[in-house]
Amino acid sequence: MDPNEREQYRAAIHGERDAFEMIIRTHSRALFAIAYGILQNREEAEDAVQDALVKAWKTRWRVHDPEKFPVWLATIARHRAHDIFRKRRTVPLSATIDEAIEPNSAAGTDAPELDQQLHSALAALPELHRAALTLRYFEEMDYRSIENILGLSNGALRGILGRALASMRKQLRPALASLD
Amino acid sequence: MATIHDEIDSWLAADIHGELSEDERSALHAHIVDCAACRKAHQENKVMNKMLEETLAQEKPDPAFEQRMLSGFRNRIPERSGLVKLLVDLMRLRAVQITAVTAILVGLVQMGRMITGENATPLRDRERYAQVEVAAPQPPESRPGQAGALARSGGVAAGRPQDLALEAPPAAPATRSKFHEEGKAAGTTVAPAKAAQPEARDVETLVVPENAAMGEEATQSPVESPAAALANRKLIRNATVELEIVSFDDAVQKITAFANEERGYVATTSSEKQANGKLKGEIVVKVLPENLDHFLQKLRGIGQLKNQTLGTEDVTKAYFDTDARLKNARVMEQRLIDMLKTKTGKVSDLLQVEKELGRVREEIEKMQGELKYWDSQVQFARVTISLAEKDMEEPASFLLKEHAQLALYASDVEKIYNEAKVLASPKVQITNAQLDRDYSGRVSARVSMLIAPEESETLISRVKGFGRVENFQSQTERIAQGGSGMSQNAKTKRDKVELNVTISREEQEQAFQQTSLRIRTSAVDEKAKELRSLTEKQNGRVRSSTFSRDPDGHEVANVSLRVPMKNYSALMQSLNALGRVEDVSVQRQDRIGGQIDEASAPADISIQVYSQGNIVSSDTGLVATLRRTLAQSAAAIMWSLRMIGVAVAFLAPWAIAVIFVVWIAKRIARARQ
Repeated sequence: MDPNEREQYRAAIHGERDAFEMIIRTHSRALFAIAYGILQNREEAEDAVQDALVKAWKTRWRVHDPEKFPVWLATIARHRAHDIFRKRRTVPLSATIDEAIEPNSAAGTDAPELDQQLHSALAALPELHRAALTLRYFEEMDYRSIENILGLSNGALRGILGRALASMRKQLRPALASLD
Repeated sequence: MATIHDEIDSWLAADIHGELSEDERSALHAHIVDCAACRKAHQENKVMNKMLEETLAQEKPDPAFEQRMLSGFRNRIPERSGLVKLLVDLMRLRAVQITAVTAILVGLVQMGRMITGENATPLRDRERYAQVEVAAPQPPESRPGQAGALARSGGVAAGRPQDLALEAPPAAPATRSKFHEEGKAAGTTVAPAKAAQPEARDVETLVVPENAAMGEEATQSPVESPAAALANRKLIRNATVELEIVSFDDAVQKITAFANEERGYVATTSSEKQANGKLKGEIVVKVLPENLDHFLQKLRGIGQLKNQTLGTEDVTKAYFDTDARLKNARVMEQRLIDMLKTKTGKVSDLLQVEKELGRVREEIEKMQGELKYWDSQVQFARVTISLAEKDMEEPASFLLKEHAQLALYASDVEKIYNEAKVLASPKVQITNAQLDRDYSGRVSARVSMLIAPEESETLISRVKGFGRVENFQSQTERIAQGGSGMSQNAKTKRDKVELNVTISREEQEQAFQQTSLRIRTSAVDEKAKELRSLTEKQNGRVRSSTFSRDPDGHEVANVSLRVPMKNYSALMQSLNALGRVEDVSVQRQDRIGGQIDEASAPADISIQVYSQGNIVSSDTGLVATLRRTLAQSAAAIMWSLRMIGVAVAFLAPWAIAVIFVVWIAKRIARARQ
């Protein structure tokens, strides 16, 4: 890890606001990607990131090793997103499903239909796969960084993304065929 | 290529995302060319990648996202105000944390000390040290005042006090004003005072009081004290001398002669005659102070010097202070008199003046008296000589005192007691007679008597005949009278002999010899009875006996008896007839120093008569072992419980302290958020 970065994490852990705000600037997009990967909803993902940042500031003293700070931040964001996800479940499902399905059946145009299909294919993925995909496609992060932030072992991401793409491919095959 | 085919998904993903190395990519492309399925998947992936890129690009956060996150964060966690921030920042420092913990611990220890009542002496020491430090800088401050005094005294001689007050270096206001006042007083009073003083001494000292004061004030710096100042000092010299002389009268004569030689006189003489004919006394001589040393030198020739002290009291300052005040008072008196002479004002005012005049005059007389007293003290040195003739401590006579202690055993204490009381006669004085009977029926008597020395021998031997003598002690004491130590020509006198007799019953007498033995026989009861008769035959007595039979049929009889020593061996012989004698142990107490009639001294024998068959001890066997083991383990458990209690008591305060510290630390951590 870059010594400057490390020093920044250390300062943030020790309660320096400026350092922490700098981390917010540099990391919140990645956190958003992770949260979005879980929630697939921008507003909720933003809330999740916001909550995660506040929680991170309040419990920053729990981190002993500055190097682990980003991973820890990501974990908090993930947990927060999960919480929100779980709360959403308690809202009657039928309404959202109806809403989701209705435009699908009503709209006859190709593009929105494809979009819908892509989203549902994404939704069918395990959330880790989704988070990896969002990190990749939102932030164009390289595999190494994604592995780092998700706390994966070296080289694991290749398989994850491969499987994610493969399963989406299978789901979207008819649509893809029509596109070709 | 099988591996690429098998893992084609990850290879394709990595390819799309540009994460393949050069070699990998060429290997993948080679495979795609060969394998149709993989080629298709590659195509689909490419399309899907594009779709994903397009679709997800819409979902990407907008550029203001970070700013939103930041402002949201700032809203939810406002910055702390200055003081709290400072405190929290401080608490973050390791040093501050350690200090806080240390302070808490020290506080606890201090609290413990307060509770246990230990005082904090080190603290007090530090306080004292601080006081010393504060006090130290003071002397330099007073120095200007001293210098001022010196300069001013010169000014008085010149008669220009006003100028001098200006010349004096800046001193503390109080002292300066005092100087000023005094200077003025001195300046104005010189002329009338001179006229009023009839004595030459005063004229002499009048000019120099301030000089003398200067000398007094400058004592710390010896450079400043010239011989002239010393001559004007008022010193009271006193000496005490303790002498041992051969003859008191000779010494008094010599001392009187010495005093005359040194232009002095003998003030008082006192003497006292001791019991041994020696004289001691005290002489007070007054000599001129300058001759004092010479006089003391001469005194040493009279006898042996035992002790000498020489004291000098310097009353110069007090003397001249009083002198100055006297002068002031005289001026005051003069003024008051003038006031009365002019007779202006109201009657009440005049009365007031007269009253004041009376007070001033009284003061003047008091001060004059004081000065006179000092003059007389200073004029002559006082020498107090204590004289004591040699061998002062020699005793006049000796007294021989004899104390005798006699302890008797008798069968009838009361009878002997009465017999002893009857002995009283002009030559024998019974000082104390006492008969004690305690609740258990034991009787003892004590008789103390004073016997004329010539009768003592016969009487003591008579008392000895009353019973069996257990102990007789006699001690003689030589007491010197009228002194101490040895004396060759002192007489020796015999005093009355003091005799203390203690009479106790024979029963209480400790046996001269104690024997214990066991007799094994078949008929225990019968043999015990036989034993009793044997004892009586030998002029002995059975003191106690017990008999017991246990369920197993074992019989045991314990008999303890007492016989006179002369019959002891005969009895022991006869015991063999009763059965098998076992385990004989004999304990004999030889009393040292006591006069004992061995033949009639009592011997105790305790005998256990028991029937055939072993007496099984309850201390052996399985049950007993089990019981013992249980008892031991119970004791061990109790012991360990106690130890645990001690450990808890030892650790609890520290545990509480640590918990407290941890709690505080947690609070701080929470406060930081």
